[in-house]
Amino acid sequence: MNGIRYQLKSVWKDKFCLMTFLLPILVAVALQCMGSIDLSSLGELHFGVLQDDLSPQAVAWLERYGPVTVYETDEAWAGAIHEPSTNVIGVKGDGAGLQTTISGDELEIFQQAAATLPNLYEQRAAAQQVPVLMRERPDLLESLQGIFVPAVLIVAMFLGCTFNAMNIIAEKEDGVAFVNQVLPMSTGQYVAQKVTVGFLFGSLSAVVTAAICFPWRNIWLMLALILLASFVAALLGLFIGKGAADMMVGVVYVKLVMLLFLAVPLVCALAGVDGPMAVLCNLVPSQPAFAGIVALSAGDTGAALQDIGILALHGVGWFALYALLATRWKGKAKG
Amino acid sequence: MGNDFGALFRKDCRMLVTGKFFWMALGFLLLYTAYVNLGYLRFMEMPPYHVYLYDPGGTQTQASELVQLVPSLEALDAALLEDTNGVGLDASTGAVQVVLYPGAERIDRHRVDYALSLLEPQDSRPPQVIGSNTPEQKARKEITCELLFFELAAVGFLGIAAVLFKEKGMGVIRVHAVLPLRKSLFLLSKLAVFLLCDLGFAVLLTLMNLGIPDGGAVLPAVLVQTAMLSLMMALVGLLCALVLKDFRQFTLAYLVIAIFAATPVFLSANTSVKFDWIGYHPFYHIYMGLKNAYFGGRASPADTIGAVVAIMLLFLLVELAFRREMGKEG
Repeated sequence: MNGIRYQLKSVWKDKFCLMTFLLPILVAVALQCMGSIDLSSLGELHFGVLQDDLSPQAVAWLERYGPVTVYETDEAWAGAIHEPSTNVIGVKGDGAGLQTTISGDELEIFQQAAATLPNLYEQRAAAQQVPVLMRERPDLLESLQGIFVPAVLIVAMFLGCTFNAMNIIAEKEDGVAFVNQVLPMSTGQYVAQKVTVGFLFGSLSAVVTAAICFPWRNIWLMLALILLASFVAALLGLFIGKGAADMMVGVVYVKLVMLLFLAVPLVCALAGVDGPMAVLCNLVPSQPAFAGIVALSAGDTGAALQDIGILALHGVGWFALYALLATRWKGKAKG
Repeated sequence: MGNDFGALFRKDCRMLVTGKFFWMALGFLLLYTAYVNLGYLRFMEMPPYHVYLYDPGGTQTQASELVQLVPSLEALDAALLEDTNGVGLDASTGAVQVVLYPGAERIDRHRVDYALSLLEPQDSRPPQVIGSNTPEQKARKEITCELLFFELAAVGFLGIAAVLFKEKGMGVIRVHAVLPLRKSLFLLSKLAVFLLCDLGFAVLLTLMNLGIPDGGAVLPAVLVQTAMLSLMMALVGLLCALVLKDFRQFTLAYLVIAIFAATPVFLSANTSVKFDWIGYHPFYHIYMGLKNAYFGGRASPADTIGAVVAIMLLFLLVELAFRREMGKEG
């Protein structure tokens, strides 16, 4: 028990690990804030009108197409049209019609809209009731946004490997690894302590992240996913710590692992892999975790349970692999 | 004192040369220029909605040239699937029916009305043009401004910190404690080296991407803003190098700065997404200063004063951290 306390203390003091801990949480908060911005307004037409210039009917007509901002002075109005970051179209009354003003540097689509607006206004009365048939849109954009949250959760779940990997490498660099060899501590104890460190920090970070950006549904299944994924991540951290010679190599390994873990489920989700390839993808532990999160957010508990099962198999498999290799390393060290 | 400064300055230049700093800057310069000329300008083109008409009976005789005729309903569907922003008009049943993939509600309304208006085109009243930039000039200025800001605040900053951490690791900073030099010279020579690099970078980037006539016209104002931003970033880099233990710690601090400082600023400054609190974000004012310089606007005096005060405060902080670092040497 004391051992684990020391381990946790040393990780807690490392700013690198602390930042790793906070990173997914901060991104989750940022995503949460971003979620409230309506990005669909970006392609909208924006109109600028002068106060008391257009009739209320004309303003209401403009508002059918996009937001209308009222400016008090000519300068403010011209300034808004000039402003390079927006595509405001200036609209003034001109007899019974409209006169539009643009700055000339707008995208072609907005220039064309400004050029045809007076005509649309004149024809507004004649606008006959034309039937409009809306097709089912291939829903790419929304699925892209839906992928963001699981991606952040994946990072949070599997970043756990950073904690114990960095901890092991730091011990190697400081020479503590040699001291450990002469301490009366079995390999089992050592492994248990290191796994606990990665597991605790990883799962805590993932739980907080999930609490922020995941809807509070199926909490227990989500918790099971997080705990299993963090356990696998902690085992991976052991491998990275064992394999990396120094800190820089360790950082590169962690980055490669994270890249692979993010890339596989994202490609699977976007490209829609199925058949034997899908089974193969499940060899990467982030794939069942990702699929589980997506299934949970869709409310499909059956699929989620299956993914949890695969993840549990991963846990057993990776643990067995490490135990096997550890006995071999030990044998080599003795021989 | 002049000699001392010269010696330090030469040493810092050598440090940058051996640190491959110039090669990195040159590489990024070429990368940015290639991106602007080969990628960005094409990427930013946004033609008006295409309108496709299926009219087997030839009922729509007045349709504008902007309307593309398609031979069958299948061809109409295929065209719309390819170009989901497009609008289809189906006149095969006599009355016209509009077919489209929905997007945002108000844009859809405009697309429908726009497409229908093309069936009976009238002489349109041309819009008044009050600006002087063409869309291409605007796109070039915008992206050059963004890239310069990105280079100064993110890429160059990383380079500065890498070089400084190397010096720190070698113990060079502490050696200055025993050198018979005025302590502030050390900081001034570092700042001068990085400032000159950044100014050179700004000149090349601006002229290569805006062209000489356009670039030359905005260059003086751009250089003033570049100088302020460069000084600030160099000072922050120095502060990080003095306060943080090693480069490993810095990489994460850097990640936070890069993501959380830059993203909201870019969103607010370049799109119509505006945050209420963005006025309190220091990077926003710096970025807007740079952007105003590119678009010929006047920098607000409050921002300029704020920047100068920030630079002085940072300098004091760095000097404090520097003395503390040397104090460790006794």
